[in-house]
Amino acid sequence: MKTAAELHSGESAIIQSVDPHHPSFRRIIEIGFTPGQEIELINKTIFNDPLAFALRGTMIAIRKDEAKSIKVL
Amino acid sequence: MSQNISTPVPTITLVGPPNSGKTTLLNLLSGANFKTVNYPGSTIEYNTTKLHRRFHINANLLDSPGIISIIPNSPDEEVTVNSLYKHPKFGVPNIVIATVDASQLSRHLLLVKQLLNSNFTVIVAVTMIDILEKKGYEFCAKDLEKKLNCDVVKIDGRNGKGIGKLIRKINRILEIQKEEGIKIPRKVSEKKCEENILAQYEEIEKIEKEILHKTVSDKNLKNANANLIVLNQNKPDTFTVKLDKILLHKYWGLIIFFGMMGLVFTSIFWLALPVMQLVDEAFASLANIATDTLGYTWYGNLIANGAINSVGSVFVFVPQILILFLILGFLEDTGYLARGAMLIDKPLSKIGLNGRSFVPMLSGFACAIPAMLAARTISNRKERFLTIFIIPLMSCSARLPVYALLIAFLIPQNQAWVGGIVLSLIYLFGIISSVIITAIINKFSSKVIGQKDNSSFILELPSYKIPKFGTVAKNTYTSTKQYITKAGPIIVTFSLILWMLTYFPNTNPKIDKTNLSETEFHEAQQMERISTSYAAELGKFIQPAMTPLGMDWRIGVSLISAFVAREVFVSSLALIFKVTGNEETIRSSILNAMRQAKIEGTNQKLFTPATILGLIIFFVFAMQCLSTIAVSRKETGSWRIPLLQILIFSGIAYIATFITVNGLRLLGVA
Repeated sequence: MKTAAELHSGESAIIQSVDPHHPSFRRIIEIGFTPGQEIELINKTIFNDPLAFALRGTMIAIRKDEAKSIKVL
Repeated sequence: MSQNISTPVPTITLVGPPNSGKTTLLNLLSGANFKTVNYPGSTIEYNTTKLHRRFHINANLLDSPGIISIIPNSPDEEVTVNSLYKHPKFGVPNIVIATVDASQLSRHLLLVKQLLNSNFTVIVAVTMIDILEKKGYEFCAKDLEKKLNCDVVKIDGRNGKGIGKLIRKINRILEIQKEEGIKIPRKVSEKKCEENILAQYEEIEKIEKEILHKTVSDKNLKNANANLIVLNQNKPDTFTVKLDKILLHKYWGLIIFFGMMGLVFTSIFWLALPVMQLVDEAFASLANIATDTLGYTWYGNLIANGAINSVGSVFVFVPQILILFLILGFLEDTGYLARGAMLIDKPLSKIGLNGRSFVPMLSGFACAIPAMLAARTISNRKERFLTIFIIPLMSCSARLPVYALLIAFLIPQNQAWVGGIVLSLIYLFGIISSVIITAIINKFSSKVIGQKDNSSFILELPSYKIPKFGTVAKNTYTSTKQYITKAGPIIVTFSLILWMLTYFPNTNPKIDKTNLSETEFHEAQQMERISTSYAAELGKFIQPAMTPLGMDWRIGVSLISAFVAREVFVSSLALIFKVTGNEETIRSSILNAMRQAKIEGTNQKLFTPATILGLIIFFVFAMQCLSTIAVSRKETGSWRIPLLQILIFSGIAYIATFITVNGLRLLGVA
C-alpha cells in the first residue's frame, strides 16, 4: 500500500489509515485526513516538500514526513 | 436598590477555525470598548468588546484565536481552550457562537460537534453560503439544526443578512437562561476527545450527505454536472487551483515569491524612509524648540535630549510597522502568504524554523522591530520564539551608517566600488553566520528558548479572495498601537537611563569661552561632558575587556551609546574625538581624527585595519539595540529570551572580534 507522499501531481486516492504513532497524528486527523476521504495531490514545491492536497473542499499543505504517515489506496 | 448585582452581564464567545469568517462576524456584532488584550500571563491576544448598541442586548462579546479543535495542540492553544471553558475575567460563557464556512462543512463542523459534546450552549453561524452555491450546493438551516440539535443561522458577511435572526436566537437563549441558569460545560479528557474525532467525522459526513442539495439553476448547471458522480463537494475552488498552478509552480512559484518578497522588502526599506526622516525631523525640531525655550540647563537637556529624543525613538519605527503590517495583512487576506510559507518551508525546516519565519527574517534586514512583531503569524511557539531569537542577527538598516564609516576608513577614496564589494561580503558573512547560529540554537532549543514543541507544518491554503481593507486596516492599527503602548515605555525608560549616563555628573563643564561662538561653546561643553560622564567611567571600567581587542575606553563608550540605536555609534565617536562640522564634512573629520588617534597612554595607533575589521565583525553579531530588546521582551512575554540574546550574541561578538583582531595581527596585518 502506498502513502500520500508517493502520489503524483493530480493523482487521487482514498485514505485507508493514518499512523497513530506519528507525533502529529492528532493534528493530521483533526484537519480532516480521516480514513475514507478522497485526497488529491495538487501541488509540490521545488523541494518536493511540503505537499498540497485537496481535501474536504479546501487545500491543505503538510510536510512530506506527515504525508508518509497517511496510507492510501 | 436600583441595580441587581446577582445578574451579571452575559458573555458571548466567538470561536471558529481560521478562515471561517470569524473576524467578519466579530466586526458585524462588535460595538463599544473594542480592546485587544492578552490572556493573563501569556502573549496570546484576543479581542473583547460589547455587543453593538443597536441590538439592545447588554452583553460582553469575546473573540478567541482561531482553533480547529477543542483539544489543544500547543501551550498557546491550551490557554485559548481553557479560557473558553472558564474565562479568567468573564467566567463561563452564556453562549458560544461557532463560525462555520458553508463550503467546508465537513471540516468545520468538527469543532461544533466537540463543543456540543462538552455541553456548551452553541449557536452555529454558517458563513460563505455564496461559495457553497458557486459549487452548486445549498442546504436548509433548519435541517442542520435538527441534525445537530442546536441553533443554526446563515450569515452573509458581505451585507450582514442573518444578523437579525442571530440576535433573536441570542435573546431567546438568554431569556431561557434567566429561568434555568447556564449550562456548565464539562471538560472531556483529551484522550477521550482524540478517540472521538474519527467517529465525529463520520457523523459529520453523514449529516453533510443528508442536508446538502444540488442547486440546478441554469447558472450553476455546469458546475453541478461536474460534481454529479459522487456527492462530493470536495473539490477546492477551481479558480484557486488554476491560479496555484502558477503561484505554486516548481520554478515560477519560487521566482514570483522572491519577486513579491523583494517588493515587500523594498517598501519597508525605501517607502518608509522619507516618512521616518519626517518623524525624525519633527522630533528634532521639537527638541530644538525645547532647548531654545529652556536654555542649556540640565532640565532643558533632559526634556530635549532625554525625553523628546526617547519618545522620538519609539515613534520613528511606526512608519515601518504600519507599512509592513498593511502589506502583510493584504497578502495574508488574499490567501497568498500561506502559499509563500509552503514554498520556502523545506530549507527553513532544516534549521528548526518554519515557512512562516521567512517574512519576519527578511523584514529583519530593514529593522528588527517590525520583524519581531511579524513573527506573530507563526503558530508553533518554539518556531516563533526561535525566529524572534535570531532576528537581531539580520543586518538591519541601522548598521549601514556604521559599516559605511568603517569601510570608508579601510578603502582608499578613489576606489568606492571596493567598498560595495566589502559591504556585500559583510551581508553574506552575516547571513551564513546566522544560519549556523540558528542551527546550533535549534539543537539546544529546549534549553535556550525554553520551548519544546513538536515541529510540524500543517497549513490550510485558503481559496484566493479579494482582501477586505477594513479588516487589514484594523489589524494594522491594533498592532501598531500595541507596539507604542507596550514596548514604548520600556524603550523610553532605558533611553532616559542612557541619557543620564552620558549627561551626569559633570553637567556644566568649564570651557574657555574666548574665541568661541555660542554654538561652538555648547558643542565643546557637550564633548567635555560625555568624556567625563558616567558612561565614560563605565567605558574605563570595561577598558580591561577592550584591551585584548586592541581598543580603548573611547570605543567602549561609543559601543555603550550604540545601545540607544546602532547608528548612534557614529555620532558618539564624533563627540568623543571632539569632531565638529556640518553633516557633509563631519564624516571626513571623524575619519581624520580616527587616523590620528592613539591608544591612550601609548604610541600605538587605535584604529588599524585589524581593529576596524574587528569592529565590523562586532556589529555583525552584537545585540545592541534597546528597542529590539524591549520588543523581544514584549513579544516573548518574559526577560529570558532578550537577556539570552544579549548574552549569546554579544558574547559571540566579543569572541569573534578578539579572534579577528589578534588573528590578523598574527598574520602581520597591523
